[in-house]
Amino acid sequence: MAMLTSWKFWAVMLGIVALTGLFAFGFTKDPKLVPSPLVNRPAPAFSITEMNTGQALSSSDLKGKPYILNFWASWCVPCRQEAAHLEAAYQKYERQQGVLRVIGIAIQDAPEAARDFAKRYGKTYFLAVDNKAGDIALNYGLYGVPETFLVDAEGIIRFKNVGATTTEVIERDMLPLIRKK
Amino acid sequence: MIINLGYVFLASALAVSLYGVIVPHLGVRRNNWNLVRSAQFASIVNFFLVLGASTVLLRSFLANDFSVRFVWENSSTDLPIFYKITAFWGGMDGSLLFWELVLAGFTAIVAYTYQRVNREIIPYVLVTLNIIHVFLLSLLVSWSNPLDVQSPVPLEGRGLNPLLQHPGMAIHPPLLYLGYIGFAIPFAFAMASLVRGRLDNAWVISTRRWTLGAWYALAMGLMFGGQWAYEELGWGGYWGWDPVENAAFMPWLTGTAFLHSVILQEKRNMMKVWNMVLIIVTFGLSILGTFIVRSGVLNSVHAFAQSEIGPAFLIFLSCAMLVGFYLMFLRIRLLESRHTADSLLSKESVFLLNNLMLVGIAFTVLLGTAFPLVAEAVRGTKLSIQAPFFNTISAPLGVTLLFLIGISSLVAWRQSSWGFLVRTFRIPVLAGLAGLALGLAGGVRHLGALVIFIGAAFTTTVIVIDMAKAVRVRSSQSGEGWLESALATLMRNRQRWGGALIHLGVVCVFVGLAGNYFKSEFNRTLEPGKPIHIEDYTLLFKGMADEQQGNARLRQAVVELYRGENLVDTLKPARSFYPTQPEPLNEVAIYRTLMEDFYMVVAGENPDGTATVRILINPLVMVIWMGFPLFTVGTFLAIFYRPRRLNQPLFETELEVAR
Repeated sequence: MAMLTSWKFWAVMLGIVALTGLFAFGFTKDPKLVPSPLVNRPAPAFSITEMNTGQALSSSDLKGKPYILNFWASWCVPCRQEAAHLEAAYQKYERQQGVLRVIGIAIQDAPEAARDFAKRYGKTYFLAVDNKAGDIALNYGLYGVPETFLVDAEGIIRFKNVGATTTEVIERDMLPLIRKK
Repeated sequence: MIINLGYVFLASALAVSLYGVIVPHLGVRRNNWNLVRSAQFASIVNFFLVLGASTVLLRSFLANDFSVRFVWENSSTDLPIFYKITAFWGGMDGSLLFWELVLAGFTAIVAYTYQRVNREIIPYVLVTLNIIHVFLLSLLVSWSNPLDVQSPVPLEGRGLNPLLQHPGMAIHPPLLYLGYIGFAIPFAFAMASLVRGRLDNAWVISTRRWTLGAWYALAMGLMFGGQWAYEELGWGGYWGWDPVENAAFMPWLTGTAFLHSVILQEKRNMMKVWNMVLIIVTFGLSILGTFIVRSGVLNSVHAFAQSEIGPAFLIFLSCAMLVGFYLMFLRIRLLESRHTADSLLSKESVFLLNNLMLVGIAFTVLLGTAFPLVAEAVRGTKLSIQAPFFNTISAPLGVTLLFLIGISSLVAWRQSSWGFLVRTFRIPVLAGLAGLALGLAGGVRHLGALVIFIGAAFTTTVIVIDMAKAVRVRSSQSGEGWLESALATLMRNRQRWGGALIHLGVVCVFVGLAGNYFKSEFNRTLEPGKPIHIEDYTLLFKGMADEQQGNARLRQAVVELYRGENLVDTLKPARSFYPTQPEPLNEVAIYRTLMEDFYMVVAGENPDGTATVRILINPLVMVIWMGFPLFTVGTFLAIFYRPRRLNQPLFETELEVAR
């Protein structure tokens, strides 16, 4: 066919494939992954109460030990995925080794729904629900959930992860940052 | 359960659409028209099935049925009824269903109206449209099912995004969808013509109204979107070159180019390949628009629900483009026409230039929109392309278009003589200079704005003279009064005068855009009872007040606005608090006059009883909105135009040539 020898034909077809490739590449990147301006700055202060036990906790109590601050919600799908990973991190690094705390704050969530979710997905670490105005979420500049911050022993944010925080993320990106010290 | 019934409707619609993909082809193969008839009927049935599913979803919204996940995500019991209806397309899954509903409606209309005409291509028009149906319905019954149920049933929904609670939301997204989907019809006709190798002007003529309708819907959608952004987002502008805005703008640009270049095919049998390219690209950009909005590939201030269906859209888009262009190259011999523009000084050349400008802008916008991805792919850096890039390139192209509108009315088809041109250009050029003088007298010193004023005065004069001449001829021939002649002239050549009105609307939009060059902004802290002067306005802050409006609580700053000694308005810019949303939103207050908008936003309320406000004086914004009626009346006139067959004399000028 004459068409197959026409450079115009191939130029157009390749152009389409190239554009498709470009947009497909876009799927592998999240435009919201712009580095958080909060990294390497003091973590905004907060005070929360455990949603099951009512135990109070404020960020000043946490000085001296690094912690993972995970923002989640009962209506968030990737939060289901990360729940087991965070729980595993809690069991290993907080309960067994005592090197790291894990804290979860639910945003835009009803306490009952959050409790149900924690029960269903087996979250047993320190969980709280942000107030209705979402003050903590605002202070941490969240785009959505899940987003997870790593705060070091001095109360400085060292890392921010957007999307599900898996064991891989914790071991590859988070632990080296606090072990260095 | 009624929700399950809705799901059954969707699944049946998918089956019917599959039927519509296969059977028309069989009908052609076996030369059995009854099979094609059955597919036409199936398209109508399909519409009612999708309508049924949509009714079920709407009922769930009205009944606060939070067992439907989509309803729970986008509604709440305190949401006003009006927004419960608009919430239908407030999220991804619902808007996909809405899209399918509109496409099903359009397909049914095509199937019904073209029962006897276009026999040769209609089977493949149906096949093409049904392929789109199969794609959308497959998503709707699987990954993106708006009728998905959840258990346990929550007591309260998460509420509609307050930004979407604006009357414009009732009309802006549906209009954009009508536009996007409207271009599917000419695309389907183009594909069918390619498949059948029937590449006369039938597809262009049959789809002229669809194209115009789709173009109008997109234009209105963009305008309403701009108005929404202006009144709701509170940053003081109506256009921010956000990827989502660009996504709607690109198909509009190529659609506009198509709308003009098909005239060349219709009248002069030229540009057949180009028209194919334009309609394939326009359809592609319509799909790309949805893809960009919903896939989350590009960062956007429109951070609406994103979903997992991005890859599906990308694959569909890519296939549609590959197949479209493959078919075009397959038939390229039949498309190449012997006609070219006879002279540089002809309407044909002006149309070509117009097409180049429009496609040039579209390309710029595409480049700017996709560039962050390129940069990341090549250099691994995150960046965003801002307004200056888009403005720098599209402003000169746009202004050229403004002049071209006028010039195209002055030059004749085929060839114009220089002498004729000099004669006809004289008065419009003088008018252009008058526009410049007026701008300078009004204190405008910015070059860009002045050039727009020249172009606007020039083009408006051309159009008005054109109309006046035609009316005068009519009136002297028929002896009717001035108004009667004007109406008769308008009705006799609806396409031409409809187009002229739309062009006047475009001039209005340009004049309004020029206002951006000399707007001003102020930040002030208002003390109760202490007047503040800004330009020739005086503001008197009366204090803060609370008001309940629908499901929102407003915290208003009450400000009396004086011009000279006269109280012209009491503005109440506010921050609004919605029960389901953590952050307060800005409610803008605007005092509008034709010459400028006084635009005020509350930036903050201070403990000492003062309030900090942001004030913008935006000149000529009202002129932009004058485009609404002009576009509407113009399109209404033009859409009732019946293209004449090619073998009839076309133009007064050609008649003259023939004589």
